Amino acid sequence: MHTLRVIQTFLKINIQTSLAYRADMVINILLNLMWLGWELLSLSIIFSNTNTLGGWGPAELIALLGVFRLVNTLMAGLLWPNTEKFNASVRDGSLDYTLLLPANSQFLVSFARITIWRAWDLILAFILIAVGIKMGGDTTSTLSILNFLMLTISGAVVIYSLWIVLIAFTFWFTKFDNNVTILQALLDSGRYPATIYPAWLRIIVTFIVPIAVATTVPLQALRGDLTGWNVLLFIGVGVASFLVASRVWKAGVRRYSGASS
Amino acid sequence: MLNVYKRLWQVNWAEQWQYRANLVMYLLFWLVSPVVYLAVWTTIARSQGSVGGLTPNDFVTYYMTLLIVDQLTSEITIHIFAYKIQDGTLSGELIRPIHPMLTNTLVNNIAFKALTLMTLVPVWAVLWMLFQPDFSSVTWQGILLALPAVLLGFAVSFLIGATLTCVAFWTTRVWALVEFYWALVVLFSGQFVPLQLMPGIVQQIARFLPFQLYKYFPIELVLGRLSQSEILFGYGMGLFWLLVASLLFRWTWRNGLKQFSAVGA
Repeated sequence: MHTLRVIQTFLKINIQTSLAYRADMVINILLNLMWLGWELLSLSIIFSNTNTLGGWGPAELIALLGVFRLVNTLMAGLLWPNTEKFNASVRDGSLDYTLLLPANSQFLVSFARITIWRAWDLILAFILIAVGIKMGGDTTSTLSILNFLMLTISGAVVIYSLWIVLIAFTFWFTKFDNNVTILQALLDSGRYPATIYPAWLRIIVTFIVPIAVATTVPLQALRGDLTGWNVLLFIGVGVASFLVASRVWKAGVRRYSGASS
Repeated sequence: MLNVYKRLWQVNWAEQWQYRANLVMYLLFWLVSPVVYLAVWTTIARSQGSVGGLTPNDFVTYYMTLLIVDQLTSEITIHIFAYKIQDGTLSGELIRPIHPMLTNTLVNNIAFKALTLMTLVPVWAVLWMLFQPDFSSVTWQGILLALPAVLLGFAVSFLIGATLTCVAFWTTRVWALVEFYWALVVLFSGQFVPLQLMPGIVQQIARFLPFQLYKYFPIELVLGRLSQSEILFGYGMGLFWLLVASLLFRWTWRNGLKQFSAVGA
Protein backbone atom coordinates (compact mmCIF):
# COMPACT_ATOMS: atom_id res chain seq x y z
CA MET A 1 0.00 0.00 0.00
CA HIS A 2 2.76 2.30 1.10
CA THR A 3 4.78 1.49 -2.03
CA LEU A 4 1.79 2.16 -4.26
CA ARG A 5 1.30 5.59 -2.75
CA VAL A 6 4.95 6.45 -3.30
CA ILE A 7 4.71 5.39 -6.96
CA GLN A 8 1.59 7.47 -7.32
CA THR A 9 3.39 10.51 -5.96
CA PHE A 10 6.38 9.94 -8.23
CA LEU A 11 4.07 9.72 -11.23
CA LYS A 12 2.30 12.91 -10.23
CA ILE A 13 5.55 14.83 -9.84
CA ASN A 14 6.87 13.56 -13.16
CA ILE A 15 3.66 14.38 -15.01
CA GLN A 16 3.73 17.89 -13.59
CA THR A 17 7.34 18.46 -14.64
CA SER A 18 6.78 17.10 -18.12
CA LEU A 19 3.66 19.21 -18.64
CA ALA A 20 5.91 22.23 -18.59
CA TYR A 21 7.44 21.00 -21.85
CA ARG A 22 4.40 20.10 -23.91
CA ALA A 23 5.90 21.02 -27.27
CA ASP A 24 8.87 18.79 -26.51
CA MET A 25 6.51 15.93 -25.83
CA VAL A 26 4.76 16.31 -29.18
CA ILE A 27 8.07 16.50 -31.05
CA ASN A 28 9.40 13.45 -29.22
CA ILE A 29 6.32 11.43 -30.11
CA LEU A 30 6.60 12.47 -33.76
CA LEU A 31 10.28 11.49 -33.85
CA ASN A 32 9.38 8.22 -32.22
CA LEU A 33 6.81 7.54 -34.94
CA MET A 34 9.42 8.37 -37.55
CA TRP A 35 11.77 5.73 -36.12
CA LEU A 36 8.93 3.23 -36.03
CA GLY A 37 8.37 3.92 -39.73
CA TRP A 38 12.04 3.27 -40.37
CA GLU A 39 12.00 0.04 -38.37
CA LEU A 40 9.01 -1.27 -40.30
CA LEU A 41 10.59 -0.22 -43.59
CA SER A 42 13.79 -2.07 -42.71
CA LEU A 43 11.77 -5.21 -41.94
CA SER A 44 9.95 -4.90 -45.26
CA ILE A 45 13.30 -4.50 -47.06
CA ILE A 46 14.56 -7.66 -45.39
CA PHE A 47 11.46 -9.66 -46.27
CA SER A 48 11.29 -8.39 -49.83
CA ASN A 49 14.62 -10.18 -50.28
CA THR A 50 13.85 -13.37 -48.40
CA ASN A 51 11.03 -15.40 -46.81
CA THR A 52 12.82 -16.19 -43.62
CA LEU A 53 15.60 -14.68 -41.57
CA GLY A 54 17.37 -17.74 -40.21
CA GLY A 55 14.02 -19.47 -39.66
CA TRP A 56 12.19 -16.39 -38.37
CA GLY A 57 9.23 -14.95 -40.30
CA PRO A 58 7.85 -11.40 -40.54
CA ALA A 59 5.20 -11.96 -37.84
CA GLU A 60 7.82 -13.07 -35.36
CA LEU A 61 10.11 -10.16 -36.16
CA ILE A 62 7.26 -7.68 -35.63
CA ALA A 63 6.55 -9.21 -32.23
CA LEU A 64 10.30 -9.09 -31.53
CA LEU A 65 10.33 -5.42 -32.47
CA GLY A 66 7.54 -4.92 -29.92
CA VAL A 67 9.55 -6.64 -27.18
CA PHE A 68 12.65 -4.71 -28.19
CA ARG A 69 10.71 -1.46 -27.88
CA LEU A 70 9.50 -2.57 -24.46
CA VAL A 71 13.08 -3.01 -23.28
CA ASN A 72 14.03 0.25 -24.96
CA THR A 73 11.22 2.05 -23.12
CA LEU A 74 12.32 0.53 -19.84
CA MET A 75 15.78 1.93 -20.44
CA ALA A 76 14.96 5.31 -21.95
CA GLY A 77 11.92 6.02 -19.79
CA LEU A 78 13.18 4.79 -16.45
CA LEU A 79 16.78 3.63 -16.25
CA TRP A 80 18.62 6.47 -18.04
CA PRO A 81 16.87 9.37 -16.29
CA ASN A 82 17.35 7.68 -12.91
CA THR A 83 20.99 6.93 -13.66
CA GLU A 84 21.56 10.59 -14.33
CA LYS A 85 19.92 11.58 -11.07
CA PHE A 86 21.72 8.87 -9.13
CA ASN A 87 25.17 9.74 -10.46
CA ALA A 88 24.62 13.39 -9.67
CA SER A 89 23.38 12.56 -6.17
CA VAL A 90 26.45 10.45 -5.41
CA ARG A 91 28.72 13.22 -6.62
CA ASP A 92 27.10 16.02 -4.60
CA GLY A 93 26.09 13.92 -1.60
CA SER A 94 22.34 14.45 -1.94
CA LEU A 95 21.92 10.68 -1.92
CA ASP A 96 22.04 11.07 1.89
CA TYR A 97 18.50 12.44 1.82
CA THR A 98 17.23 9.55 -0.28
CA LEU A 99 18.77 7.04 2.13
CA LEU A 100 17.22 8.78 5.12
CA LEU A 101 13.68 8.40 3.78
CA PRO A 102 11.61 5.64 5.42
CA ALA A 103 11.32 3.55 2.26
CA ASN A 104 13.40 1.01 0.36
CA SER A 105 16.31 2.97 -1.10
CA GLN A 106 16.65 0.73 -4.16
CA PHE A 107 13.02 1.39 -4.95
CA LEU A 108 13.38 5.15 -4.51
CA VAL A 109 16.47 5.28 -6.72
CA SER A 110 14.73 3.25 -9.43
CA PHE A 111 11.51 5.20 -9.76
CA ALA A 112 12.28 8.80 -8.83
CA ARG A 113 12.34 9.91 -12.44
CA ILE A 114 9.96 8.69 -15.12
CA THR A 115 9.87 10.06 -18.65
CA ILE A 116 6.14 10.38 -19.02
CA TRP A 117 5.78 10.61 -22.79
CA ARG A 118 7.39 7.17 -23.07
CA ALA A 119 4.02 5.74 -21.99
CA TRP A 120 3.16 6.25 -25.63
CA ASP A 121 6.07 4.05 -26.60
CA LEU A 122 4.75 1.38 -24.27
CA ILE A 123 1.38 1.40 -26.06
CA LEU A 124 3.10 1.10 -29.43
CA ALA A 125 5.13 -1.83 -28.15
CA PHE A 126 2.01 -3.65 -27.00
CA ILE A 127 0.32 -3.01 -30.36
CA LEU A 128 3.34 -4.42 -32.20
CA ILE A 129 3.38 -7.51 -30.00
CA ALA A 130 -0.37 -8.05 -30.48
CA VAL A 131 -0.10 -7.60 -34.25
CA GLY A 132 2.84 -10.00 -34.37
CA ILE A 133 1.01 -12.67 -32.40
CA LYS A 134 -2.14 -12.20 -34.51
CA MET A 135 -0.15 -12.47 -37.76
CA GLY A 136 1.37 -15.69 -36.44
CA GLY A 137 -2.15 -17.14 -36.46
CA ASP A 138 -3.04 -20.60 -35.23
CA THR A 139 0.52 -21.74 -34.69
CA THR A 140 0.67 -19.99 -31.31
CA SER A 141 -1.03 -21.74 -28.41
CA THR A 142 -2.34 -20.09 -25.25
CA LEU A 143 0.43 -21.76 -23.28
CA SER A 144 3.16 -20.31 -25.49
CA ILE A 145 1.61 -16.84 -25.19
CA LEU A 146 1.60 -17.25 -21.42
CA ASN A 147 5.24 -18.40 -21.46
CA PHE A 148 6.08 -15.47 -23.68
CA LEU A 149 4.53 -12.97 -21.26
CA MET A 150 6.28 -14.46 -18.25
CA LEU A 151 9.66 -14.51 -19.97
CA THR A 152 9.18 -10.94 -21.19
CA ILE A 153 8.72 -9.85 -17.58
CA SER A 154 11.61 -11.93 -16.29
CA GLY A 155 13.83 -10.63 -19.11
CA ALA A 156 13.00 -7.05 -18.13
CA VAL A 157 13.82 -7.94 -14.52
CA VAL A 158 17.21 -9.32 -15.61
CA ILE A 159 18.04 -6.06 -17.40
CA TYR A 160 16.82 -4.03 -14.44
CA SER A 161 18.93 -6.12 -12.05
CA LEU A 162 22.04 -5.69 -14.13
CA TRP A 163 21.38 -1.96 -14.08
CA ILE A 164 21.09 -1.93 -10.27
CA VAL A 165 24.40 -3.79 -10.01
CA LEU A 166 26.08 -1.39 -12.43
CA ILE A 167 24.97 1.73 -10.61
CA ALA A 168 25.74 0.14 -7.22
CA PHE A 169 29.34 -0.25 -8.41
CA THR A 170 29.58 3.52 -8.05
CA PHE A 171 29.73 2.96 -4.27
CA TRP A 172 32.99 1.08 -4.70
CA PHE A 173 34.47 2.89 -7.69
CA THR A 174 33.45 6.53 -7.59
CA LYS A 175 34.81 7.23 -11.06
CA PHE A 176 32.57 4.59 -12.54
CA ASP A 177 29.97 7.03 -13.78
CA ASN A 178 29.59 5.95 -17.38
CA ASN A 179 28.60 2.63 -15.88
CA VAL A 180 25.43 2.00 -17.84
CA THR A 181 26.71 2.89 -21.29
CA ILE A 182 27.50 -0.75 -21.94
CA LEU A 183 23.79 -1.58 -21.73
CA GLN A 184 23.00 1.20 -24.14
CA ALA A 185 25.75 0.24 -26.56
CA LEU A 186 24.58 -3.33 -26.95
CA LEU A 187 20.88 -2.52 -26.99
CA ASP A 188 20.68 -2.43 -30.79
CA SER A 189 21.47 -6.12 -30.89
CA GLY A 190 17.96 -6.76 -29.53
CA ARG A 191 16.29 -5.80 -32.78
CA TYR A 192 17.04 -9.12 -34.44
CA PRO A 193 17.00 -12.70 -33.18
CA ALA A 194 20.28 -13.49 -31.46
CA THR A 195 20.22 -16.96 -33.02
CA ILE A 196 21.51 -15.48 -36.30
CA TYR A 197 24.51 -13.75 -34.70
CA PRO A 198 28.04 -15.13 -34.84
CA ALA A 199 28.79 -17.24 -31.75
CA TRP A 200 30.96 -14.65 -29.96
CA LEU A 201 28.30 -11.94 -30.24
CA ARG A 202 25.61 -14.38 -29.16
CA ILE A 203 27.63 -15.23 -26.06
CA ILE A 204 28.13 -11.56 -25.21
CA VAL A 205 24.45 -10.62 -25.54
CA THR A 206 23.28 -13.73 -23.68
CA PHE A 207 25.68 -14.12 -20.78
CA ILE A 208 27.57 -10.84 -20.33
CA VAL A 209 25.07 -8.15 -21.24
CA PRO A 210 21.87 -10.21 -21.47
CA ILE A 211 19.95 -8.12 -24.00
CA ALA A 212 19.00 -11.33 -25.81
CA VAL A 213 17.51 -12.83 -22.63
CA ALA A 214 15.02 -9.96 -22.63
CA THR A 215 14.29 -9.94 -26.37
CA THR A 216 15.09 -13.16 -28.23
CA VAL A 217 14.27 -15.61 -25.43
CA PRO A 218 10.62 -14.51 -24.90
CA LEU A 219 10.11 -14.77 -28.66
CA GLN A 220 11.55 -18.26 -28.64
CA ALA A 221 8.95 -19.16 -26.04
CA LEU A 222 6.25 -17.74 -28.28
CA ARG A 223 7.51 -19.82 -31.20
CA GLY A 224 7.49 -22.90 -29.01
CA ASP A 225 11.27 -23.37 -29.29
CA LEU A 226 11.67 -23.72 -25.54
CA THR A 227 10.84 -26.72 -23.38
CA GLY A 228 8.93 -26.29 -20.13
CA TRP A 229 12.17 -26.71 -18.21
CA ASN A 230 13.81 -23.96 -20.24
CA VAL A 231 10.96 -21.60 -19.43
CA LEU A 232 11.27 -22.38 -15.72
CA LEU A 233 15.03 -21.93 -15.94
CA PHE A 234 14.71 -18.44 -17.42
CA ILE A 235 12.09 -17.46 -14.85
CA GLY A 236 14.52 -18.71 -12.22
CA VAL A 237 17.27 -16.58 -13.74
CA GLY A 238 15.00 -13.54 -13.47
CA VAL A 239 14.23 -14.17 -9.80
CA ALA A 240 17.85 -14.99 -8.95
CA SER A 241 19.24 -11.91 -10.66
CA PHE A 242 16.78 -9.71 -8.79
CA LEU A 243 17.83 -11.22 -5.45
CA VAL A 244 21.52 -10.86 -6.24
CA ALA A 245 21.01 -7.26 -7.36
CA SER A 246 19.22 -6.36 -4.12
CA ARG A 247 22.05 -7.90 -2.10
CA VAL A 248 24.66 -5.98 -4.08
CA TRP A 249 22.68 -2.79 -3.66
CA LYS A 250 22.42 -3.24 0.11
CA ALA A 251 26.13 -3.99 0.40
CA GLY A 252 26.83 -0.87 -1.66
CA VAL A 253 24.66 1.34 0.51
CA ARG A 254 26.46 0.08 3.60
CA ARG A 255 29.73 1.16 2.02
CA TYR A 256 28.47 4.59 1.06
CA SER A 257 29.91 7.31 3.24
CA GLY A 258 28.49 10.48 1.69
CA ALA A 259 30.31 12.96 -0.49
CA SER A 260 29.98 16.16 1.46
CA SER A 261 29.90 14.97 5.05
CA MET B 1 47.88 30.08 -39.37
CA LEU B 2 49.68 26.76 -39.51
CA ASN B 3 51.02 27.43 -36.04
CA VAL B 4 47.52 28.04 -34.79
CA TYR B 5 46.42 24.67 -36.07
CA LYS B 6 49.48 23.00 -34.61
CA ARG B 7 48.85 24.41 -31.17
CA LEU B 8 45.14 23.63 -31.34
CA TRP B 9 46.03 20.08 -32.27
CA GLN B 10 48.19 19.71 -29.15
CA VAL B 11 45.40 21.05 -26.95
CA ASN B 12 42.63 18.99 -28.49
CA TRP B 13 44.68 15.82 -28.68
CA ALA B 14 45.48 16.09 -24.99
CA GLU B 15 41.85 16.84 -24.22
CA GLN B 16 40.61 13.80 -26.12
CA TRP B 17 43.15 11.57 -24.37
CA GLN B 18 41.44 12.29 -21.07
CA TYR B 19 38.38 10.47 -22.27
CA ARG B 20 40.03 7.24 -23.36
CA ALA B 21 37.87 5.14 -21.01
CA ASN B 22 34.74 6.48 -22.66
CA LEU B 23 36.33 5.60 -25.95
CA VAL B 24 35.86 1.88 -25.44
CA MET B 25 32.15 2.39 -24.86
CA TYR B 26 31.93 4.67 -27.84
CA LEU B 27 33.58 2.07 -29.99
CA LEU B 28 31.07 -0.54 -28.84
CA PHE B 29 28.27 1.78 -29.96
CA TRP B 30 29.97 2.15 -33.26
CA LEU B 31 30.52 -1.55 -33.71
CA VAL B 32 27.26 -3.14 -32.70
CA SER B 33 24.89 -1.97 -35.41
CA PRO B 34 27.15 -2.77 -38.42
CA VAL B 35 27.92 -6.20 -36.96
CA VAL B 36 24.20 -6.83 -36.41
CA TYR B 37 23.34 -5.82 -39.97
CA LEU B 38 26.24 -7.91 -41.21
CA ALA B 39 24.81 -10.92 -39.37
CA VAL B 40 21.32 -10.28 -40.75
CA TRP B 41 22.38 -10.02 -44.37
CA THR B 42 24.96 -12.79 -44.40
CA THR B 43 22.36 -15.10 -42.85
CA ILE B 44 19.95 -14.32 -45.67
CA ALA B 45 22.61 -14.52 -48.36
CA ARG B 46 23.87 -17.85 -47.04
CA SER B 47 20.40 -19.40 -46.99
CA GLN B 48 19.76 -18.62 -50.65
CA GLY B 49 23.23 -18.23 -52.17
CA SER B 50 23.01 -14.47 -52.74
CA VAL B 51 20.78 -11.43 -52.23
CA GLY B 52 20.28 -9.21 -55.25
CA GLY B 53 23.58 -10.51 -56.66
CA LEU B 54 25.52 -9.98 -53.43
CA THR B 55 27.24 -12.99 -51.87
CA PRO B 56 27.82 -13.44 -48.11
CA ASN B 57 31.41 -12.30 -48.60
CA ASP B 58 30.21 -9.14 -50.39
CA PHE B 59 28.26 -8.22 -47.26
CA VAL B 60 31.17 -8.97 -44.93
CA THR B 61 33.53 -6.78 -46.95
CA TYR B 62 30.87 -4.05 -47.22
CA TYR B 63 30.27 -3.73 -43.47
CA MET B 64 33.94 -4.13 -42.55
CA THR B 65 34.82 -1.30 -44.92
CA LEU B 66 31.89 0.66 -43.54
CA LEU B 67 33.39 0.55 -40.05
CA ILE B 68 36.47 2.41 -41.30
CA VAL B 69 34.78 4.77 -43.75
CA ASP B 70 32.11 5.72 -41.22
CA GLN B 71 34.82 6.52 -38.69
CA LEU B 72 36.58 8.74 -41.22
CA THR B 73 33.61 10.70 -42.55
CA SER B 74 31.64 11.20 -39.32
CA GLU B 75 31.72 14.36 -37.22
CA ILE B 76 30.95 15.25 -33.59
CA THR B 77 30.45 19.00 -33.98
CA ILE B 78 26.97 19.04 -32.52
CA HIS B 79 28.16 17.27 -29.37
CA ILE B 80 31.05 19.64 -28.75
CA PHE B 81 29.61 22.92 -29.95
CA ALA B 82 25.84 23.18 -29.43
CA TYR B 83 26.12 23.52 -25.66
CA LYS B 84 28.55 26.41 -26.05
CA ILE B 85 25.84 28.35 -27.85
CA GLN B 86 23.23 27.32 -25.31
CA ASP B 87 25.11 28.28 -22.17
CA GLY B 88 26.97 31.22 -23.67
CA THR B 89 30.52 29.91 -23.23
CA LEU B 90 31.02 30.52 -26.94
CA SER B 91 31.64 34.20 -26.23
CA GLY B 92 35.11 33.34 -24.93
CA GLU B 93 36.02 31.74 -28.24
CA LEU B 94 34.53 34.55 -30.27
CA ILE B 95 37.07 37.03 -28.91
CA ARG B 96 39.89 35.10 -30.53
CA PRO B 97 40.86 36.33 -33.99
CA ILE B 98 40.20 32.90 -35.54
CA HIS B 99 37.02 31.20 -36.72
CA PRO B 100 35.90 28.95 -33.82
CA MET B 101 34.21 26.41 -36.03
CA LEU B 102 36.85 26.11 -38.76
CA THR B 103 39.79 25.95 -36.35
CA ASN B 104 39.14 24.68 -32.84
CA THR B 105 36.07 22.57 -33.58
CA LEU B 106 37.50 21.13 -36.77
CA VAL B 107 40.74 20.15 -35.04
CA ASN B 108 38.81 18.64 -32.15
CA ASN B 109 36.87 16.54 -34.64
CA ILE B 110 40.08 15.32 -36.23
CA ALA B 111 41.76 14.60 -32.87
CA PHE B 112 38.75 12.50 -31.88
CA LYS B 113 38.89 10.70 -35.20
CA ALA B 114 42.60 9.95 -34.84
CA LEU B 115 42.06 8.47 -31.41
CA THR B 116 39.07 6.32 -32.38
CA LEU B 117 40.92 5.07 -35.45
CA MET B 118 43.80 3.96 -33.25
CA THR B 119 41.35 1.97 -31.15
CA LEU B 120 39.63 0.63 -34.22
CA VAL B 121 42.79 -1.02 -35.60
CA PRO B 122 42.97 -3.92 -33.10
CA VAL B 123 39.18 -4.34 -33.16
CA TRP B 124 39.23 -4.54 -36.92
CA ALA B 125 42.01 -7.11 -36.82
CA VAL B 126 39.95 -9.28 -34.48
CA LEU B 127 36.90 -8.95 -36.74
CA TRP B 128 39.09 -9.97 -39.66
CA MET B 129 40.04 -13.17 -37.89
CA LEU B 130 36.44 -13.86 -36.89
CA PHE B 131 34.86 -13.27 -40.29
CA GLN B 132 37.76 -14.24 -42.59
CA PRO B 133 36.71 -11.83 -45.35
CA ASP B 134 37.99 -12.12 -48.91
CA PHE B 135 39.12 -8.63 -49.94
CA SER B 136 40.58 -9.71 -53.29
CA SER B 137 38.36 -7.25 -55.20
CA VAL B 138 40.16 -4.33 -53.54
CA THR B 139 42.90 -2.75 -55.64
CA TRP B 140 45.33 0.11 -54.99
CA GLN B 141 43.53 2.11 -57.66
CA GLY B 142 40.26 1.57 -55.82
CA ILE B 143 41.69 2.82 -52.54
CA LEU B 144 43.36 5.82 -54.21
CA LEU B 145 40.10 6.60 -55.95
CA ALA B 146 38.22 6.39 -52.65
CA LEU B 147 40.53 8.70 -50.67
CA PRO B 148 39.22 11.95 -52.19
CA ALA B 149 35.68 10.64 -51.74
CA VAL B 150 36.31 10.03 -48.04
CA LEU B 151 37.73 13.53 -47.71
CA LEU B 152 34.74 14.94 -49.57
CA GLY B 153 32.40 12.90 -47.35
CA PHE B 154 34.00 14.28 -44.20
CA ALA B 155 33.99 17.86 -45.54
CA VAL B 156 30.31 17.69 -46.42
CA SER B 157 29.25 15.96 -43.19
CA PHE B 158 31.32 18.40 -41.14
CA LEU B 159 29.79 21.42 -42.86
CA ILE B 160 26.24 20.09 -42.60
CA GLY B 161 26.80 19.16 -38.96
CA ALA B 162 28.15 22.67 -38.33
CA THR B 163 25.16 24.22 -40.10
CA LEU B 164 22.72 22.23 -37.98
CA THR B 165 24.63 23.20 -34.85
CA CYS B 166 24.32 26.85 -35.85
CA VAL B 167 20.53 26.50 -35.83
CA ALA B 168 21.02 26.59 -32.05
CA PHE B 169 21.63 30.35 -32.44
CA TRP B 170 17.91 30.71 -33.16
CA THR B 171 16.23 27.91 -31.27
CA THR B 172 18.81 26.98 -28.56
CA ARG B 173 17.38 23.45 -28.78
CA VAL B 174 18.54 21.55 -31.83
CA TRP B 175 18.33 17.92 -30.86
CA ALA B 176 14.99 17.20 -32.52
CA LEU B 177 16.28 18.58 -35.81
CA VAL B 178 19.48 16.60 -35.45
CA GLU B 179 17.58 13.39 -34.76
CA PHE B 180 15.62 13.95 -37.95
CA TYR B 181 18.89 14.45 -39.82
CA TRP B 182 20.25 11.19 -38.38
CA ALA B 183 17.17 9.37 -39.61
CA LEU B 184 17.82 10.70 -43.12
CA VAL B 185 21.42 9.53 -42.86
CA VAL B 186 20.33 6.05 -41.79
CA LEU B 187 17.88 5.87 -44.67
CA PHE B 188 19.99 7.26 -47.50
CA SER B 189 23.64 6.61 -46.62
CA GLY B 190 23.76 2.84 -47.04
CA GLN B 191 24.27 2.15 -43.34
CA PHE B 192 21.56 -0.48 -43.03
CA VAL B 193 22.19 -2.23 -46.31
CA PRO B 194 24.10 -1.56 -49.53
CA LEU B 195 21.88 0.95 -51.35
CA GLN B 196 21.23 -1.36 -54.31
CA LEU B 197 18.99 -3.46 -52.05
CA MET B 198 16.86 -0.48 -51.01
CA PRO B 199 13.48 0.11 -52.71
CA GLY B 200 13.94 1.71 -56.15
CA ILE B 201 12.56 5.07 -55.11
CA VAL B 202 14.95 5.33 -52.14
CA GLN B 203 17.88 4.54 -54.45
CA GLN B 204 16.81 7.20 -56.94
CA ILE B 205 16.55 9.85 -54.21
CA ALA B 206 19.77 8.74 -52.53
CA ARG B 207 21.77 9.36 -55.70
CA PHE B 208 21.00 13.06 -55.50
CA LEU B 209 21.49 13.49 -51.74
CA PRO B 210 24.76 14.13 -49.90
CA PHE B 211 24.34 11.22 -47.46
CA GLN B 212 25.70 8.44 -49.64
CA LEU B 213 29.02 10.33 -49.61
CA TYR B 214 29.29 9.43 -45.90
CA LYS B 215 29.25 5.70 -46.46
CA TYR B 216 27.99 4.01 -49.60
CA PHE B 217 29.97 5.90 -52.25
CA PRO B 218 33.45 5.61 -50.67
CA ILE B 219 32.82 1.99 -49.63
CA GLU B 220 31.82 0.93 -53.13
CA LEU B 221 34.84 2.78 -54.53
CA VAL B 222 37.17 0.84 -52.23
CA LEU B 223 35.51 -2.43 -53.16
CA GLY B 224 35.70 -1.56 -56.87
CA ARG B 225 31.99 -2.14 -57.54
CA LEU B 226 31.17 1.08 -59.38
CA SER B 227 31.21 1.73 -63.12
CA GLN B 228 33.06 4.71 -64.56
CA SER B 229 29.90 6.73 -65.13
CA GLU B 230 28.73 6.06 -61.58
CA ILE B 231 32.07 7.25 -60.23
CA LEU B 232 31.92 10.46 -62.27
CA PHE B 233 28.33 11.11 -61.22
CA GLY B 234 29.16 10.44 -57.55
CA TYR B 235 32.07 12.85 -57.57
CA GLY B 236 30.02 15.46 -59.41
CA MET B 237 27.29 15.21 -56.79
CA GLY B 238 29.91 15.33 -54.05
CA LEU B 239 31.41 18.57 -55.35
CA PHE B 240 27.95 20.05 -55.80
CA TRP B 241 27.04 19.26 -52.17
CA LEU B 242 30.38 20.59 -50.94
CA LEU B 243 29.48 23.92 -52.54
CA VAL B 244 25.92 23.88 -51.17
CA ALA B 245 27.07 22.89 -47.68
CA SER B 246 29.75 25.62 -47.61
CA LEU B 247 27.24 28.27 -48.64
CA LEU B 248 24.69 27.03 -46.10
CA PHE B 249 27.25 27.07 -43.34
CA ARG B 250 28.50 30.55 -44.26
CA TRP B 251 24.97 31.90 -44.20
CA THR B 252 23.85 30.28 -40.93
CA TRP B 253 27.08 31.19 -39.18
CA ARG B 254 26.99 34.85 -40.17
CA ASN B 255 23.31 35.37 -39.47
CA GLY B 256 23.32 33.13 -36.43
CA LEU B 257 26.13 35.08 -34.83
CA LYS B 258 24.02 38.21 -35.05
CA GLN B 259 21.36 36.43 -32.99
CA PHE B 260 23.85 35.33 -30.38
CA SER B 261 23.40 37.13 -27.09
CA ALA B 262 25.72 35.06 -24.89
CA VAL B 263 23.05 33.71 -22.59
CA GLY B 264 24.25 33.50 -19.04
CA ALA B 265 27.78 34.67 -19.73
